[in-house]
Amino acid sequence: MSAMPSNDKRPSPDLTRESLSRRDFLALSTRLLLAIGGLVGLGELTRFLSFTPDPAPPESYDLSPADQYAVGSSTIISQARAVLLHTADGFSALSLVCPHLGCTLKPGPGGYACPCHGSSFDAKGHLKNGPANKPMQALRIEQTPDNRLILHTGK
Amino acid sequence: MKLATVFASAAMLVALVASWIIQDRQPKPVALTPTFTGQVEYCLTCHADLAQISTSHPVETFGCVSCHGGERLALDADLAHSTMRGGANPSDLAAVEESCGGADCHNGLAQDHRDHIQRVQTSLQTTYAGAIAQMRYTFGAQADLAAHYGVQAVETQEKTNPNTPDALLAFDPSKETAPGILKFAENCLTCHLEAEPLPGAQTYRFTGCAACHTPTPGGDPEQIVHRLTTAIPYTQCNTCHNRGNYDLRSMTFQTRSDLATDRLHDYYQPIAQFTRCEYTLDCVDCHTRQEAMGDGNIYSKKKDIQYIQCKTCHGTLAELPKTTTITDPNDLALRQAFLNPVIDLKVGDTILVTDKDEPLWNIRQLPDGAYEMIGKATGQRFTFRPVKGTACQQKVDQQESRYCHECHAVQR
Amino acid sequence: MFYYNPNPDLAALSIQTITFLVPFGGLLRSLHYWAAQLLIVTATVHLLRVIFTGAYARKRRFNYLLGILLLVVCLIFDFSGYVLRWDEGIRWALVVGTNLIRSIPLIGPTLYIMLMGGVQPGLASLLRFYAWHIFGLTIVLLIIGAWHLFRVRRDGGIAVPPPELRPDPARINRFELVRREVLAMLISGVVLVVLALIKPAPISAPIQEGLTAVDGRAPWFFLWVQQLLRWGDPFLWGVLVPLGVLAWLAVLPYLLPESKPEEAGRWFPRGNRAAQVSVTILGTAILVLTLLGLR
Repeated sequence: MSAMPSNDKRPSPDLTRESLSRRDFLALSTRLLLAIGGLVGLGELTRFLSFTPDPAPPESYDLSPADQYAVGSSTIISQARAVLLHTADGFSALSLVCPHLGCTLKPGPGGYACPCHGSSFDAKGHLKNGPANKPMQALRIEQTPDNRLILHTGK
Repeated sequence: MKLATVFASAAMLVALVASWIIQDRQPKPVALTPTFTGQVEYCLTCHADLAQISTSHPVETFGCVSCHGGERLALDADLAHSTMRGGANPSDLAAVEESCGGADCHNGLAQDHRDHIQRVQTSLQTTYAGAIAQMRYTFGAQADLAAHYGVQAVETQEKTNPNTPDALLAFDPSKETAPGILKFAENCLTCHLEAEPLPGAQTYRFTGCAACHTPTPGGDPEQIVHRLTTAIPYTQCNTCHNRGNYDLRSMTFQTRSDLATDRLHDYYQPIAQFTRCEYTLDCVDCHTRQEAMGDGNIYSKKKDIQYIQCKTCHGTLAELPKTTTITDPNDLALRQAFLNPVIDLKVGDTILVTDKDEPLWNIRQLPDGAYEMIGKATGQRFTFRPVKGTACQQKVDQQESRYCHECHAVQR
Repeated sequence: MFYYNPNPDLAALSIQTITFLVPFGGLLRSLHYWAAQLLIVTATVHLLRVIFTGAYARKRRFNYLLGILLLVVCLIFDFSGYVLRWDEGIRWALVVGTNLIRSIPLIGPTLYIMLMGGVQPGLASLLRFYAWHIFGLTIVLLIIGAWHLFRVRRDGGIAVPPPELRPDPARINRFELVRREVLAMLISGVVLVVLALIKPAPISAPIQEGLTAVDGRAPWFFLWVQQLLRWGDPFLWGVLVPLGVLAWLAVLPYLLPESKPEEAGRWFPRGNRAAQVSVTILGTAILVLTLLGLR
């Protein structure tokens, strides 16, 4: 080694020769091992960050008793971000999550409108105008034999 | 140097891969979110093979932690069990108020039939108040036979009987001087509900609520028993009762020496005469909730709390046994029948009740005036007719059970 | 960091989540724990090396002070991280440690409030310890640390004898330095992973109100102070004496004779013998007290 500090950066391993020099083999092995180790470490980090500590939101809500909703009424169910409609044909529900980008729709005189980008829907959930290109999502209502009313927001 | 780097890189790779393998070999956590608490628990990761404790305490509703305590998120045994209540038995009386009690469970008002813990804590089987008073009186430590001390200090919260004390102090053998009392403390306190039982299969039981409600058939201390039941067989009562006799001269307990092989001889000690139903039925078929668990008052003697008699079920020559017809769908009798469904009790059924209006929910009146009884622990069905109208020779002023025994007791 | 919750009701539970439920959470936590403890050990060994080679002499005296300061910062890092567990194991260490602050005359109560955000350990305290541990102390460490490293270079590198007295005057180039440091990183990394796998970080049940079995043990690096505190007045034995030890170390280069320039970088130079002896005595005393505390 020289007595003075120098820019003694080792030349890159020459991988083109038929047989690798010892130095180049060792350099290659080191880099390979570090690369694989790095991938393993990255994998561990990925799994580490993929854990979800919060419980998933509920996919069904019990709205019983059914007789508290008069015929012709529309009731906002805020925890479910939905509106429950009771017509002569029975119960139905619409999701108040705007199909555009997810803001909560506000009920108005003509139906529902989104405060974020101006999408609007009629009282039955059909699209009137706005950047949204889908109507309000219909949600499933289940009426059980023992007269309970369940709103399903999941798939 | 380069070689060292290669080896170090290899070692790092090996260490990381080892950590990955170790992570994947951990048992996969099994989550349970009981509806009662709403908080996820992971006990089932290791304890999934444990039997459901009872139909009225389903694990999906209560989970494990609401009764046992413990760290619900920990998968390391020592940490998970470090905050468990009462060790393996949360019904031990030191822990029972948090485990079986709490705001929502067996702690509350007598009207709601939710005062089990208050009643048990003041009951004779827990306080031993009378035995202690007797000993202290006999050996001169107190001047009267009134109960002043119990195994633990206790205050009654449901005093309805004015002739009973409000509270008991804790019996402290270290403050006693009479040798008789000291020997008593040493040898004779192994049956109250907080005491560990005498060694041996005959006397093996748990402490606290589990002493009765978690039957230990076979008396094997190694066997895990994860069970709560109201169908308590006589063998469970016999872990304390009918085991032998106290000998006051030597101040020791003499275990009974007969090795009974049939129910007739096993059930009671060979010193008394009993009727057939007394050894065919189990203790719980006759003795009521209040008799076993107390009524909230502090008593000294069994006589003060035991009141069931033959006539409670069989009536007398003059009177039919007392009955009640169930009208309320939330009736206690229906709940008790639900817990131990040996009988299909319904609203509209007529069942027997005791003088204190405790429902004898397993005894139902039949349309023809007879009665049927289903054994709570055996499920056997019996029918019987009331005494009234039979050839019974009872005198009008001799209605207690001992008079029935004069004719109906069985020679053993 | 991604799963810890600095709320007193949730902190210990979040650590249980990390340790048992998050994939590699236990590994990362144990790595963090062992790295922290080995940092204190390494820093102490480094301090001893500096003393026993007389490397703090002359122009390096200021950097030596920066180093002492860094040791203190690392100890505060270790203690604050320890407290963040908020479980039964740390409970009494927190109470005692912070009450020692309170015992300082005149300014003690004010310092306590500034540190704890209240008159007793609670929500504000945990949040503040968290803020110090992940942010406040980091800023201090970065600044003082950078300065310390800068001063090494400005003072002419690590103390070595002058070139004419060195048997091998060659200096390694910067690439070789980096390679050696990478090797050191790999080796210490492997050691840490192995330690983390065979001896996981300690964990206890969350702090419960009411009576608990008291296992009142200080963290290992303060066991010697815990022993001192058995001897009497808390302010004297818990604050003044430890600060005195620190002050002695800081003032050493200014009070006691230094190593000669030609001895610089040699082990056990004659020049600063007195300093070496005093540090040996001090270190032995602290070691003995620590061992007594482990009993």
